[in-house]
Amino acid sequence: MFRPRVIPCLLLMNSGLVKTIKFQNPQYVGDPINAVKIFNEKSVDELILLDITASMENRKPALNQLSRICSEAFMPLCYGGGVSTLEDISSILSVGFEKVSINNKAIYTPEFISAASSTFGSQSIVVSIDVKKDFWGRYSVAGQRGTKALKLNPVLWAQEVERRGAGELFVNSVDRDGTGIGYDYSLIKMIAEAVDIPVIACGGAGKVNDFTRAIKESGASAVSAGSMFVFHGKHRAVLITFPSEEELKQAFL
Amino acid sequence: MGYQQCVRCVMDTTDPEIVFDEKGQCNHCKSAERAIAKDIIADPIAKQKALQTIVEKIKKDGQGKEYDCLIGVSGGVDSTYVAYKVKELGLRPLAVHVDNGWNSELSVSNIEKALKTLNIDLYTYVLDWNEFKYLQMAFLRASVPDLEIPTDHAINSVLRSMTTKHNIKYMIFGSNINTESILPRRWSHGHQDWGYIQAINKRFGGKELKSFPHLSFWKKIYYRITNRLEIINLLDYLDYSKSGAIEILQKELNWQYYGGKHYESVYTRFVQGYILPNKFNYDKRKAHLSSLIVSGEISRDEAIQDLEKPIYPPDLLEEDLRFVNSKFGITETEFYRLMELPNKEFEDYPSDERSIKYKLIKSMYEFYKGFFKRT
Repeated sequence: MFRPRVIPCLLLMNSGLVKTIKFQNPQYVGDPINAVKIFNEKSVDELILLDITASMENRKPALNQLSRICSEAFMPLCYGGGVSTLEDISSILSVGFEKVSINNKAIYTPEFISAASSTFGSQSIVVSIDVKKDFWGRYSVAGQRGTKALKLNPVLWAQEVERRGAGELFVNSVDRDGTGIGYDYSLIKMIAEAVDIPVIACGGAGKVNDFTRAIKESGASAVSAGSMFVFHGKHRAVLITFPSEEELKQAFL
Repeated sequence: MGYQQCVRCVMDTTDPEIVFDEKGQCNHCKSAERAIAKDIIADPIAKQKALQTIVEKIKKDGQGKEYDCLIGVSGGVDSTYVAYKVKELGLRPLAVHVDNGWNSELSVSNIEKALKTLNIDLYTYVLDWNEFKYLQMAFLRASVPDLEIPTDHAINSVLRSMTTKHNIKYMIFGSNINTESILPRRWSHGHQDWGYIQAINKRFGGKELKSFPHLSFWKKIYYRITNRLEIINLLDYLDYSKSGAIEILQKELNWQYYGGKHYESVYTRFVQGYILPNKFNYDKRKAHLSSLIVSGEISRDEAIQDLEKPIYPPDLLEEDLRFVNSKFGITETEFYRLMELPNKEFEDYPSDERSIKYKLIKSMYEFYKGFFKRT
């Protein structure tokens, strides 16, 4: 039976894994190579790896480490962070990633999406959109690691990104990140209805039922989560986990 | 001295310090027998009573606190069985896990299944891999067999600090005489020796140990004086058998076995299955099986048969070797070069144990102990 993809989202910072809450206060959760190996053995559908400081620090993707991470994973892998040239994409794909996620560069140079998509094919180009609510409850695209609300409407931006050839959208709610209170369902719905390409929902997942709602109510094609797969219990103890196939099948019945 | 193996257990001259009596029995199984006679209560009723007394004391002292005891968890048999048992005894434990970057999938899923089923709270301390990697590498470069000492030291330190944080007076361990009575000093030494760890790191490591949880010499003395912490090796109060425990854990907690002793960690598996036997000629299975012989769980013949089995399935060895090198960021050639270095031991490096400071304080301590005994 076909079921929607469930994708752990791992954040890299200073070559270690961290987890944030609302994009703030990164907590160290371990070594990416080991985490990816464990996720691989848990047979997750896909993995997304985001280097959250690469763009801000004007750094190139850390290819040596990425290549070692890749050798632990048999599932499709997507990398994001500091991707700003076609050469970056080419080298990331060549170490074994299937997809590359573009965020910052796309916002300031939308033509880059078109160039990337026509060079490497839309199936390998994911555009990542961080969305924040302002004081009045209006959504806007957030730049600079989610800290800066830009004057950019997420729905219009999603449509432009699609027009330029993105193969997939990764929509992350800054306000929900790390909270475990559930996705921003209306945000996902707004975007999913406005585009034809797959939308991956991220930010706020706390239980398997949140996946169900994101897919069934909001029309997401896939769901992604961070905290839910690395923390356990009230002390937020680091412990890598992933729902069993049975649980997921049940969730998407 | 030629090769010799004990007639009672399976320890042999691969322990350079082993001593045999005229009948061919070694010092290890003899002292294990003494330990069992001394520390294990033979009478089942008295044993049950001793356990009850301790449990009642823990409950009483823990009244009004969130947790009454602390347990360490690794996903392995002993620690998971302790988790199972403390709940059965009605205690309220906090489980603590130290993640050193080498957890196997089996270890994390075992921890998850056990703690969820038993409804036990967990705290995890994650060692900073960028720092810890260099420390583990330093021990490899120092060419000593004590490769797992940094992890053991960190675990101890984290457990200690958690008891202070949560005001817990009892640490309940899975260490036990029945399955762990024998371990030659030369095969691993210095677990509590921060001076040793620092010395190795200074000489062979690449990074300052900024965040590494440790128990310094003075901190240990401070704890000894101020902290009335009690360590309870719970399994010694039970009729603990490893096979029996595995059966219960599989049935009750859906727990899964992972192969060898302490093989729940990839690095431990690699150290015990490859580095120690190949570089130092130390096969820890001998010590472990010998403990089981003395406690009567297996016969000497069974142990000998067990030792004939390959210590490492070849496919797994290949996979682990590649993984270890990838984690350390070294090539296979570099790794084999480290294996070729002349072997060293604890005594070749500075340590607290060998420092004048330690000897002085130890003799002062002995003096005071003697003094108070007299008065």
